[in-house]
Amino acid sequence: MAGRIKRMIDLIIERRAKGNLLLTDTTKAKLIFKGVNPDAFTALSPDDPRTEERVRIIAAELGVSL
Amino acid sequence: MPITTAHSSKPLAQAVEDLLAQCGPCMPRFVLFFASTTYQPQLLSERLQAAFPGACVAGCSTAGEIGAGKMMTGSVVAMFLPGDVVEDVCAAVIENLHAEIPVSQAFAHFEGHFQLPVSSLDLTRYVGLVLIDGLSGASERLMEKIGDHSDVLFVGGAAGDDMKFRKTYVCAAGKAHTDAAVLLLLRLKNGFDILKTQSFLPTGKRLVATQVDEARRMVIQFDGKPALQAYAEAIGARPRGVPDHFMDRPLGLMINGEPFVRSPQRIDGNSMVFYCQIKEGMHLEVLKGTDIVADTRAALAARKSALGHISGLIDFHCILRTLELRSEKRCDEYGSIFSGIPAIGFSTYGEEYLGHMNQTSTMLLFR
Repeated sequence: MAGRIKRMIDLIIERRAKGNLLLTDTTKAKLIFKGVNPDAFTALSPDDPRTEERVRIIAAELGVSL
Repeated sequence: MPITTAHSSKPLAQAVEDLLAQCGPCMPRFVLFFASTTYQPQLLSERLQAAFPGACVAGCSTAGEIGAGKMMTGSVVAMFLPGDVVEDVCAAVIENLHAEIPVSQAFAHFEGHFQLPVSSLDLTRYVGLVLIDGLSGASERLMEKIGDHSDVLFVGGAAGDDMKFRKTYVCAAGKAHTDAAVLLLLRLKNGFDILKTQSFLPTGKRLVATQVDEARRMVIQFDGKPALQAYAEAIGARPRGVPDHFMDRPLGLMINGEPFVRSPQRIDGNSMVFYCQIKEGMHLEVLKGTDIVADTRAALAARKSALGHISGLIDFHCILRTLELRSEKRCDEYGSIFSGIPAIGFSTYGEEYLGHMNQTSTMLLFR
């Protein structure tokens, strides 16, 4: 299976930024500072439980429920 | 009333009187000061708060000051912001940074003061300032927690101590603190802009941090090789000669095409210690230095042209940039970039904007 990490990241950005372009950029920056680069994942990126867990923790830190 | 600035190199008691005199009849809502550690921080904070009893007074110690279009040492600089620029301001002190960082308490304090949930604040009118103990090593954790709690933009710097590396101070409400940060939330009448500028270009060479010790800001391996070897290969130097290239060849965490600079500090065996944290898996670009004065002048001119008018500016300016300017004897040139704009700043032990970075100027521009 593939694409789950990208979907999780997109959801974090969507829920945190709520369509605000400035917040889209700053949320992406926050993710990169936390060690997950949104641009490094595509719909074809293989699912990976370790990375998914990391993204889940980041989502919780940012107050986003996935 | 416009924003005004002042500076003094007189002994502490006279310096406070000097700043008060330069402030004139203005009744500032907010007084921000940056001072050399030649001024006893607790006494300076106390005296400045007493001199401006109706204002929120905050500041920090420095590794050099910027004011009156000059780069200085052994002085105190201050900015006086009237109520028609800063409509309201609230300060929160976070202590014991070595332990858990209770950012939520600071934000609860802000919500109590402004009587609004932080999540509902107008992001074009509210801006945060952050001043942190520059020797706490806690800047990354603090900025991450701020970013978790709020979408309000915070900009700032890490306090210095004239390059003694013993103790740095942050100040608010007549007190001075170490192992602490001061967060300030400002509601501005006319809004703001933030300028982040660094004088580096990407070289196209990339390194991936594959083994790190985050807490020690250490990279053990890049690309699966000992960090020293991989970095030396990337910059085309011999491992022994690598420290000679630290200033000119830092690494950049690229975000939207812009580098957030991570500067190497020293070699530790075959590992490398940086002035800020690098996380495992981070992709970093090898950077190449360009001209600090020309780049900063151009960046500020472009922003001034876009905004039409800048009523005041605070420059959080990396000490590594200051050292480079000093060695090139270009401090006067750098200071002159701000002529015509009420501006203060200081040489920091790290710059803050969305995260923690090095070899950068982060600036808050008042519209």
